[in-house]
Amino acid sequence: MVSYILKRFLSLIPTLFVVSLVVFLVVFLIPGGPATAILGMEATAEELAALNAELGFDRPFLEQYASWLGGVFQGDWGQSYFLDMSVLEAIGEYFGPTLSLAIYAELVSLILAIPMGIIAAYKRGSLVDTAAVSVSLVGIALPGFLLSMFLMLLFSVKLKWLPVAGYRELSEGFGQFIRYLTLPALSLGLVQAAYITRMTRSSMLDVLYMNYIRTVRAKGQKEGIVVLVYGLKNAAPTILTVIGQSFGSLITGTIVTESIFNIPGLGSLTMSAINRRDVFVIQGVVLFVTLLYVVVNLVVDLLYGVVDPRIQLGRND
Amino acid sequence: MKKFFALLLALAMVLSLAACGGSDAPAAEAPKADAPAAEAPKADAPAAAPAAYKDELNVAITANPPTLDVHFSNSNIVGGIGSHIYEPLFAMNQENVPTPVLAESYEVSEDGTVYTIKIRQGVKFHNGQELTADDVVPSMENWLVKSSKATPIAGTTFAKVDDYTITATLPEAYSGALDIMAGNVQFAAIYPKSALDAAGEAGITEFVGTGPYKLAEWKQDQFIHLTKFEEYQQPAGESSGFTGHKEAATPDIYFRVVTDETTRVAGVQTGEYDITEGISLEQYEALTTDPSLTLYTKTGGTLNLFFNTTKGIMAKEEMRDAIMACLNCDDIMMASYINPGLYSLNQGWMNPASATWGSQNSEHYNQNDPAKAKELLAAAGYAGEKILLVTTPDYPAMYNATLVVHAQLVAAGINAEVEQYDFATFMEHRANPDQFSLYITSNSYNILPVTLSVLNPGWAGLDAAEVPAGIAAIKAAATTEEAAAEWQALEEFLYDYGAASVLGHYSDVSATAAGVEGFNYFNFPIYWNVKVPA
Repeated sequence: MVSYILKRFLSLIPTLFVVSLVVFLVVFLIPGGPATAILGMEATAEELAALNAELGFDRPFLEQYASWLGGVFQGDWGQSYFLDMSVLEAIGEYFGPTLSLAIYAELVSLILAIPMGIIAAYKRGSLVDTAAVSVSLVGIALPGFLLSMFLMLLFSVKLKWLPVAGYRELSEGFGQFIRYLTLPALSLGLVQAAYITRMTRSSMLDVLYMNYIRTVRAKGQKEGIVVLVYGLKNAAPTILTVIGQSFGSLITGTIVTESIFNIPGLGSLTMSAINRRDVFVIQGVVLFVTLLYVVVNLVVDLLYGVVDPRIQLGRND
Repeated sequence: MKKFFALLLALAMVLSLAACGGSDAPAAEAPKADAPAAEAPKADAPAAAPAAYKDELNVAITANPPTLDVHFSNSNIVGGIGSHIYEPLFAMNQENVPTPVLAESYEVSEDGTVYTIKIRQGVKFHNGQELTADDVVPSMENWLVKSSKATPIAGTTFAKVDDYTITATLPEAYSGALDIMAGNVQFAAIYPKSALDAAGEAGITEFVGTGPYKLAEWKQDQFIHLTKFEEYQQPAGESSGFTGHKEAATPDIYFRVVTDETTRVAGVQTGEYDITEGISLEQYEALTTDPSLTLYTKTGGTLNLFFNTTKGIMAKEEMRDAIMACLNCDDIMMASYINPGLYSLNQGWMNPASATWGSQNSEHYNQNDPAKAKELLAAAGYAGEKILLVTTPDYPAMYNATLVVHAQLVAAGINAEVEQYDFATFMEHRANPDQFSLYITSNSYNILPVTLSVLNPGWAGLDAAEVPAGIAAIKAAATTEEAAAEWQALEEFLYDYGAASVLGHYSDVSATAAGVEGFNYFNFPIYWNVKVPA
């Protein structure tokens, strides 16, 4: 098992190298530098060129890349031009809100999707099933930003139950923390729930009509145990994969939601870093997110063995 | 199956609890409990009890400022926030007259080249140091180098006479020198010498000034928290523009970075924010009827079209004249600012309300004459060369105007093409005459014409000798009337030459929650003296 995990991490090195090279190249090739964001609209060409040169942006590509890569090997991921902190500090600061949001949204989606998926599969062809399938279809088709706007209009502007936007640290109180995160978490979680519901229903359908389920029923087991223990346990690897993908996408794909709800997370950081050409931050965030995605997938792979002992990772025979 | 439904019910309860975490509390942040100003009046309190005000002002701003070094950046957000932290020697009062702030008095030598400026004594920086000439001289020197708005007095030398007196020696007499030093964009803020000594490539990093508010915390991309500077020394006179009495009426100001327009508006409607800058023009009409809001409009600057005057077919004056003949400025401004009440048509590069620098329309402006354009195109020998309009959707007004101009050029038979980029790339393109034929930008008003971007050869590459000659004539004018006449001549040259054209004058819109007191939307929104009933 340990050697399997080590192998997975070692295989990550070339991936990270290629990703870093491509991202650095793309940022290098895009016109404009941080001077535009610093100096503002009325800066002249000379002023822009002078500041970009002072910041080292006029150096050849390989020189800039080598200098950055050398720093990475020494634990220095570079310094943000705007945030007055190192890239690692920035990631540490902005990751908290994203992780909180992702966990909350994933909880919302799981609490809704798993029961709904199981009930829909159990009552296949019924009104409940049709409703679950239809609602999840709408959820998948609905653009996230539209749902965000709708939720904001309803719960903030009309009902005034929840704040419009913003973020409060956990240290400012759990109640405030949850109140500010609820709308964005719902906006993300409902879309994810739609996807997970469909996949849960589908994988449960695969197992609920298997012979061993029929056998368990014939032995007189209660329906709850048949569905939850024998059915759900065997459908779990597929559902787990979907949850892993969902959590990965929640961590890496919250740019729009974070922008609308003004949450200072990795999505917002990425967006502003691109606009400001804060090159080291872009690099750092992309590498971090790549690493995170791989780790999430690795954890999911390891969990396969927990939910289904027949799966033994790292064994060739 | 009952367990499933129980689970679903539990979920609903959890979400309801989360949703109602504040029970019936308003969405806005409650004032701090220990703040006396925020206490609700007791039911049996006497009727004459003073009104209670919030001790926290929440302002939604459109972007995170790239820096808080006002010498360095001409961004309005930097200047707007910076004017609460820093103060200059002179600033503009509400009538745009230069008025002492950190200066106590000044004298000008007979030949008009030496300004002897007395500095107010007893003024403290936020770090506790006392303001002296040792801070003023390096600050003014730094501003002279870093601020593009200081260009008209380039070559000025600043020297310490004693701890509270400095001299500014101009290379030549210039009656507008004080206006330049009192300008509000990239203004001549006085920093402590220690902050300047510690400055890096991108300006100062210790944001310390003498203003009524000091920086308490800057949480990047979230908020900038300013708090009342208890040792603030009030300048003389009543509050007027950036001068006179500045009362930190609300002890704490949070400038909250809210990039999404809809969120900003919804935030003021629900009380989350007390004030928002950058109201969407699309929403302006609908919001005017919202009783929970008070809208403020302020003419803010000009929407301008700049030509490439040096490369290719655009180097021909007839070609630029042909494009000018196509323009229907009313259509362009309507597409950009949506409501006729939010723009006006005037060819002047300066504020039309200015008695000195305002202009009347001439035959060059807003011609809307495609037939004349076709004649001029023939005279220019135009053979269908591509005319490239570069723009950025990041600024909707500029983008919409470009699309309308494009349509007007195509209607006149010009092979026009629009290229759109994100803001940083747009800035790169518009700085290179090989990569544009024309572009449109919105530019804030300048106090004096000599600081206009259009006159700067680094802006759109305008290199006609008449421009520096015109600037020199304005600067050398003995009286304001003479200077105004020189400016009218230079402005006429810009249109004759086809260097650029003003398309119209726009208004900025801000909104406050109903009940906000003391808000002054001057050249920037001013938040000292602002109070919000609790």
